[in-house]
Amino acid sequence: MKKFLKKLAIFQRAEFLSAKDLLQRAAVISALFLAVHLAGFREFTGVLNGTIGSLTLGWKLSAFLAVIYIVFYLAFVALVPILILAAGILTVGRRLLRKSSHEPRIDSAPSH
Amino acid sequence: MQIDFLVKARIRRILAGLAALVIAAVIWLSCLHFVFARPVSVFYADQGVSPEARQLAARHLQLWTDPALREAELKKMRVSNAEWDFMGRSYLVWSLANMALRDPASKPCYLQTMDQIIDETMRLEKQEGMYFFLMPYAKDRRYVMQPARSLFLDSEIALMLAARRVVEEKPEYRPLLAERVNLMVERFQKSPRMILESYPDECWMFDHCVALDAIRMADYLDGTDHSALIRDWIALARRRLVDPKSGMLISSFTTDGTPLDGPEGSSIWMVTHSLQLLDADFARDQYQRARKELGAITLGFGYAHEWPKSWPGLPDVDSGPIFPVFDISAGSSGMAFIGASAFHDDEFLKPLAATLGFAAFPSRTRGGLKYCASNQVGDAALLYAATLGPLWQKVRTGAKTR
Repeated sequence: MKKFLKKLAIFQRAEFLSAKDLLQRAAVISALFLAVHLAGFREFTGVLNGTIGSLTLGWKLSAFLAVIYIVFYLAFVALVPILILAAGILTVGRRLLRKSSHEPRIDSAPSH
Repeated sequence: MQIDFLVKARIRRILAGLAALVIAAVIWLSCLHFVFARPVSVFYADQGVSPEARQLAARHLQLWTDPALREAELKKMRVSNAEWDFMGRSYLVWSLANMALRDPASKPCYLQTMDQIIDETMRLEKQEGMYFFLMPYAKDRRYVMQPARSLFLDSEIALMLAARRVVEEKPEYRPLLAERVNLMVERFQKSPRMILESYPDECWMFDHCVALDAIRMADYLDGTDHSALIRDWIALARRRLVDPKSGMLISSFTTDGTPLDGPEGSSIWMVTHSLQLLDADFARDQYQRARKELGAITLGFGYAHEWPKSWPGLPDVDSGPIFPVFDISAGSSGMAFIGASAFHDDEFLKPLAATLGFAAFPSRTRGGLKYCASNQVGDAALLYAATLGPLWQKVRTGAKTR
């Protein structure tokens, strides 16, 4: 299974701030947000108006879970589209650059 | 040579990545509000009941038909503030009154829930005493006017009874409303400055306006005339209870009229709406001032500050947490819906609704809607904002109750 996943391009480590790197980060954030969303952390966001999220869990844990949810939600709603858009811009830009100047691909430059 | 090339290539790639991120951020952040923007009619409809109001109401009706669900919700609020339990009831009854007038076919269902809430609230007040719905500090000092009563409770209970009777007469509620109104009127007349306490030597603009609305509605229902009292009180408020810098009504004061808190967003938006029934011109003037001083729109998202620049304050239980940088008050932003709906300010209501979709975490289950970042009282206030209008309209035009 590990070998199979490693073969998939999306799971291979990409160069920092390359289009693939941005897409990988977007995927990780989306997966984490999906996890906290499905875990029901959204219910704890009542702390935003000063209401305890859960009487059983108490103020501190409720607030902690709310903060986790809010951080991942904001990352998913605001950051993920930016990462995807940036990846698109990089890809299009690179193609345009290659067409006009025939320069070597930035992403395919050897790393050692 | 090879290393130099690689370093240059790496720097170029990082700079390209950063530039792409900046461009993408500018594009996305300026477009983000479109994802959450909806037509105003989804939230507030001139005729009938808007889809959002129907879903919010469905959730509240579930709470009042499922005692376990209601108890869990109320317990969570009472940990922070017992007032919210009470105000959640008031806003829901006022909302259902408006909905019954908007949607006569559903009137029997709404009236049943209104009666259930009113009866249970009055039973709790009688059984547990007025402190049951007040914050603990109400017991710390003695009320100036004796016997002790809280205008907070009297005004909202009176308005609940009146709203119910405006929708459809209920003979059992007629003496209860008359008693509550007579008590408030007598105390207004007894007070040297026509100022009544909600907490010991702590008086709230919000409660005075709601009390006068209830008195005005009792006049409409029972043919009494307290127009002189209402006129005199408005004159007093204009003269003594206005922040000279912003021109906005202050939110709390002592029994001799000394200001405690300046104008507050969590209070003024409802006050402007309450005033519509008492003095329409003054109401509009106050709304326009509140809108200018407290309302804000950034990147297509609407929100409200708690205090004007002329009278800053500290976060409290009414303001809710204040979010820095943009100075966003959760309490004021929620209540701003009431002002924007009441004055048909679609330019503000639409961005406010976008913020609600973005930052209030809507949750839809079994046909009901709740906002997770809100609570029962917050959702009830939103429901009121989504339905207000017909009740005031009926009283203002003098249309007869069927």
